[in-house]
Amino acid sequence: MPLHSPPTRLRVLLVTDTAKPIGELRDALARLGYDMLSEVAAPGALPRTVEEQRPDVVIIDTDSPSRDTLEQLAVMNEHAPRPVLMFSSDPDQQRIRDAVRAGVSAYLVEGLDAGRLAPILEVALARFSHEAQLRKRLADAETELANRKVIDDAKRLLMERRGLPEQEAYALLRRHAMDHGMKIVDVARQFLRLAQR
Amino acid sequence: MTPLPIMNTPASHPSVSTPELRHLRLGFVSLTDAAPPVVAKTLEFGHRYGLTLELCRQPSWAGIRDKLLCGEIDAAHALYGLVYGVQLGIGGPHADMAVLMVLNRNGQAITLSPRLADLIAAGHRVKDAFATLGRPPVLAQTFPTGTHAMWLYYWLAANGVHPLADVKSVVLPPPDMAAALASGELDGFCAGEPWHAVAESLGVGRVVTYTSEVWPDHPEKVLACRRDFATRHPHTARALVATMLEACRWLDEDPRHRASAAKWLAADDVTGVAPERIAPRLLGDTGGTRARPIAFFDHGDVNYPRPSDGRWFISQYRRWGLYDGDARDDAAIADAVNQTSLYRDAAASLGIAVPDDDATPVARLCDGAVWPAA
Repeated sequence: MPLHSPPTRLRVLLVTDTAKPIGELRDALARLGYDMLSEVAAPGALPRTVEEQRPDVVIIDTDSPSRDTLEQLAVMNEHAPRPVLMFSSDPDQQRIRDAVRAGVSAYLVEGLDAGRLAPILEVALARFSHEAQLRKRLADAETELANRKVIDDAKRLLMERRGLPEQEAYALLRRHAMDHGMKIVDVARQFLRLAQR
Repeated sequence: MTPLPIMNTPASHPSVSTPELRHLRLGFVSLTDAAPPVVAKTLEFGHRYGLTLELCRQPSWAGIRDKLLCGEIDAAHALYGLVYGVQLGIGGPHADMAVLMVLNRNGQAITLSPRLADLIAAGHRVKDAFATLGRPPVLAQTFPTGTHAMWLYYWLAANGVHPLADVKSVVLPPPDMAAALASGELDGFCAGEPWHAVAESLGVGRVVTYTSEVWPDHPEKVLACRRDFATRHPHTARALVATMLEACRWLDEDPRHRASAAKWLAADDVTGVAPERIAPRLLGDTGGTRARPIAFFDHGDVNYPRPSDGRWFISQYRRWGLYDGDARDDAAIADAVNQTSLYRDAAASLGIAVPDDDATPVARLCDGAVWPAA
């Protein structure tokens, strides 16, 4: 017996064209009583599938390359599902925003109550690791800070050793980066390495 | 060295003279015209304005939109038309948006299958070339309200082909265009580079027109953010505009700079396309045609966010039935989206001339129409 039996069985399409395990949603949603359509794994196949199978809901990875293909269908075809609004005071919509943050995007046919999407997104969210994303954000921020420190160190060393004002020290690093087609942080790192010898 | 004027602008905001935010997440899409953000990051042009940029590549324009709206990214390299599509809520969420500046003009194209391109080169009309298919041509672009959709529709209409009634109009990710042409799924596409160069190198398509032949020196990508981002962080927004202006100026300063940029754009985390595919057109090669090359700065003429450009996109949405709002509101919408005074401040701090609104150059488009209309 399905837990949340929808009033009419919603037809759900999953687009599974990224490495995320979105496909695993299929069984979980089928158990909840949704009508799961055959999955689409490439942007080229989307127009025909949406036309022929008329999904009520499309669940897609936020980072799927097929997103824009779906956007075109939403604009050109009145029966195609539209991207859901993420900005609303409606408390149910908070879940949708969380879903986008976690990497799930949803498209609904017009007139479909967003509340009916909630259990679908609940399941989708449970399958996506929030934590993995947070860890990556943290790592990225740390790299960024480290890069900035390297450039500052190199600049300071140039100012000391060559008696350059700050702007000129920076300009020197930048010019070198341009001349050699390198990133400025790599120039800074190379300079510090040479200076240590 | 005197501090930069932008850092000393008398604060209209409660005594804040440095950017309210120091770390900005900037979205971009895998394209040659992502050069300004890529250059700004590679050469860290933001540092002197107190900004650290973090580039966040997005696999779709919908991703750019959603992440701007929910705050995952602060600003983005975006299709001019995407910003206006979101402002008008066409086919998706509505939000008040801001165009901070234009990042480039020209640099896009329409490619058709070699067979169609041959027919057109032999003097057949576009309409007649399509008729040889025995079915409506399938033509792809990149986003329903985007620039490529509008260039393609405009060009088709100018050639007697109704872009919605006579054509099957689809959207595909640009990196998939060449394969779709090769398999016969697609008869042509309008997108940015390097994807035309890639299709030509594989022999699966040929450029039939550059978008500068549709609208000479048309505006293309913009620096976009949510409007409340610009109003809540005016110093940050100005610092970001100054940073990107420096990157645009650098790109137009010396052809060697563009050659360096081609190498950076080739990186796997930017386009992953060989620099030989990127460099020629980035350096202005348009195959001996009279097409105008991509420009990023042109003494600042490229970058001023002219409201009349925004109005053009609204007029095209109305033309193709995507929008039915009152045309008398178009000017007010464009004036609210395009952040001209913020741009003026940033440009003045760098000594970059700002074109006069009253002296907007009149362009003649491929169907003979002029814009802005008299």
